[in-house]
Amino acid sequence: MNTSAHDHHISTVKQLFLVAMGLTFLTFLTVFMAKVIVLPEPFGIIVALTIALAKAFLVGAFFMNLYWDTKFHVLLLVGSFLFFFLMVGVTLLDTLYRDDAIPSF
Amino acid sequence: MTTAEATKVKSLKVQRFQPSDNPTKNFLTEEKGVWAWMTTVDHKKIGIMYLVAVTFFFAIGGFLAVLLRTKLLSGSSISFIDANQYNQLFTLHGAIMVFFVLVPSIPAALGNFILPLQLGAKDVAFPKLNLGSFYIYVIGAIFTFIAIAANGLDTGWTFYTPYSSESGTSVLLVTFGVFILGFSSILTGTNFITTIHKLRAPGMTWGKMPLNVWALYATSIIQVLATPVLAITLVLLMMERVLGIGIFDSALGGDPVLFQHFFWFYSHPAVYIMIVPAFGIMSEVITTFSRKTIFGYWAIALSSLAIAFVGFLVWGHHMFTSGQSPIATTVFSFLTFLVGIPTGMKILNWLATLYKGSIKLDTPMLYALSFLFIFSIGGFTGITLGALSVDIHVHDTYYVVAHFHYVMMGGTLIALLAGLHYWWPKITGKMYNETLGKIGSALIFIGFNVTFLPQFVMGSQGMPRRYYNYIDQFAPFHIASTIGSYILSVGFLLILYYLLHSLWKGKRAPANPWGSRALEWQTTSPPPLHNFEHSPVVINEPYDYHRPMEEFQLGIALDQGEDSDHTEKEKV
Amino acid sequence: MANHSSAQTTLHEHHFVDTDHQFDAAKLGMWVFIVNEILFFGGLFCAYIIFRAWYPDLFQQAAYQLNAVLGGINTLVLIASSFTVAMAIRSAQTDNQKGLRNHLLFTIILAFVFLIIKAFEYNHKFELGLFPGAYYNPAPEVLEHLNHPKANIFFSIYYMLTGVHAIHILIGIGLLISLYIRAGRGRFSSKFYNPVEIVGLYWHLVDLIWIFLFPLLYLIE
Repeated sequence: MNTSAHDHHISTVKQLFLVAMGLTFLTFLTVFMAKVIVLPEPFGIIVALTIALAKAFLVGAFFMNLYWDTKFHVLLLVGSFLFFFLMVGVTLLDTLYRDDAIPSF
Repeated sequence: MTTAEATKVKSLKVQRFQPSDNPTKNFLTEEKGVWAWMTTVDHKKIGIMYLVAVTFFFAIGGFLAVLLRTKLLSGSSISFIDANQYNQLFTLHGAIMVFFVLVPSIPAALGNFILPLQLGAKDVAFPKLNLGSFYIYVIGAIFTFIAIAANGLDTGWTFYTPYSSESGTSVLLVTFGVFILGFSSILTGTNFITTIHKLRAPGMTWGKMPLNVWALYATSIIQVLATPVLAITLVLLMMERVLGIGIFDSALGGDPVLFQHFFWFYSHPAVYIMIVPAFGIMSEVITTFSRKTIFGYWAIALSSLAIAFVGFLVWGHHMFTSGQSPIATTVFSFLTFLVGIPTGMKILNWLATLYKGSIKLDTPMLYALSFLFIFSIGGFTGITLGALSVDIHVHDTYYVVAHFHYVMMGGTLIALLAGLHYWWPKITGKMYNETLGKIGSALIFIGFNVTFLPQFVMGSQGMPRRYYNYIDQFAPFHIASTIGSYILSVGFLLILYYLLHSLWKGKRAPANPWGSRALEWQTTSPPPLHNFEHSPVVINEPYDYHRPMEEFQLGIALDQGEDSDHTEKEKV
Repeated sequence: MANHSSAQTTLHEHHFVDTDHQFDAAKLGMWVFIVNEILFFGGLFCAYIIFRAWYPDLFQQAAYQLNAVLGGINTLVLIASSFTVAMAIRSAQTDNQKGLRNHLLFTIILAFVFLIIKAFEYNHKFELGLFPGAYYNPAPEVLEHLNHPKANIFFSIYYMLTGVHAIHILIGIGLLISLYIRAGRGRFSSKFYNPVEIVGLYWHLVDLIWIFLFPLLYLIE
């Protein structure tokens, strides 16, 4: 059994370099959007996080090889994000809706 | 002996091997000496080391409990423990029992030993990591003990801010110890998930896995998702004390209730880490001792996962009186009711399994029956506590104390005892004294109920928890409760005695003393170093007591021309 | 059954069917650990979200104190280090021992660059008295832009997020150095490079966290 060829995806240098370039571009884009084109809230955050998600997708799919990997690993990654959102969302149900706006004096 | 799986399949000639009842070599004899134990990567030895550690901490935590109860014999006149010491005692009792006993107990002690055997694997996925998990547990424990020796701890095991940010006791060291301990839990969970995915024996589909494995799988998921949040909470608390970070300090703009959110985001799923493996043991013991297949396999399997998921959404029910927003409180109350449903399903399925079963009241089964009664009370009282209107009155009273002792001790601990007695022959190769076992289980059952049933009553009448004295109307309840705790102590000491005694003087255990169909019983007691001489292939459903025992024994398919109409005893 | 080359029999553990099985298990284990790390940082991000929802003005004012240029450079440094670690894995997969060592070295160097830039940032803040928590003692130039009574909360969160992240970088450096040493001894090849793969995954995770950290802390306007 030839383990090196068996199922392990080997990216080419060009592929990896393109991904790195994509990430670099997105980094410049997000700084540009935040500092030069200053969008009113909440659009500023939405745009920044969308670009961050795009970068995360590139890293996850092509650097961490999820694109070629078993779908279960994708499920793990996505699932952990979902749990994070659950944690935040349910906590915000409390912190955003208290009678006293801010818990201090 | 030929096996026909279905009418369409050709019969296969198989040579069956009955595991030897008197193996000359097993995992205990093949690696000997202290150094071999300390550097072992064998999951069986690691499981035993965890068991010894957990027993040790249980003894300490139990001793603290007896001290507490003795103090509470009288509201005021027992003066060898003053108020400050009382605070330290209940804090330590809680912290030790939760973090060092209950969370690791069934998964790390019994789970480590049994999981690979039930899967037909030779070990867990990452044996060295397994040993690492054990040492991390030990180091965490040492830190905690240094802390206790240094300055004690009186914040309650829940470390609520703002007191825990300011208390002069060793909060920093204890939280650091628990932080380290958390990694043990996380790594064990990671190990188990990978093992269950990757190391099942050929033929063992997800639908053929024993329910104990499903339970350990759900537990491991909770461990991996919840424990890191505890870790970061403890880090934030440590930074609060060291740097004055202020995230939980109202004067600096923070929020003490936020600590409670973060803390309970872990600690509520933590109680499911404690109970879900107990459910797994219950499935094993009840089927074996009713010689009947489980009622509702998929219901039980999937309800473990459902509990794991919904259990993450209910943490606010510990905080109904903390000043949470009304909408959060309502949502948490509703979700708390939901989480009782899969649990209730399990209880009903086990009862249905018992119905018309061929019941054998051996010690493990007595514990399982105790579990059904005690845990049901605990579970129902949990639902009543989830009702907002009730909780407002009984929050921080003995009602809560009784509830969680009914589920954690009456649930997890009794299931641990059931599992320990069930798998004792497999682990040690010895049988304990059955009569003493029955007496022990009776003492535990009676002692437990005498201790904690009065606490429900006095809690509903308003007796607050964590108080070192009380008004006269509660005296009879406290006295009864303390007497119960002494009965419990006698029971536990008896168990310790006859289990230890069996190690030296117990009868030799056969490979399968209970006649179970599960895979771990198809190898010798104790098992060989690598668990199975050959990789088992699973054909039948688990718990299929309709089929004869021979069909579950391990065998080798023969060249179909050979004659094989007898079962051979395995030559060891 | 199992591979029987001499290099394999020492590396192939007995409870796995073959090295492929072992590789798959190692990867799954690492992904489960990544889930765990995401929840760990998740707690900190949760605190960030809660406090930003409570004190939006504070976050807007305090962002002036963070240098988006340095943060951006650090982002590019981490992207480059992800690239080099992916190249290292590729080198292992293609039996390129020299490439493996070089790319591991580049990754380590880039990681140090990240930490050095971070040290500059922290140092600059300390000069302005922007210490975490109770030690927060802002210099007058800070108070011109940032005059919020709860300002120390922002910096507490900032230091916790970037500090915990930096600790993970340090741990990663340790792991990479260990890989570099083992690569130097010829331990990795196209037949066995599990440690390189899983340390690579860990390193990408560290990059992933920073991808979210950067806009949330440095790019608030």
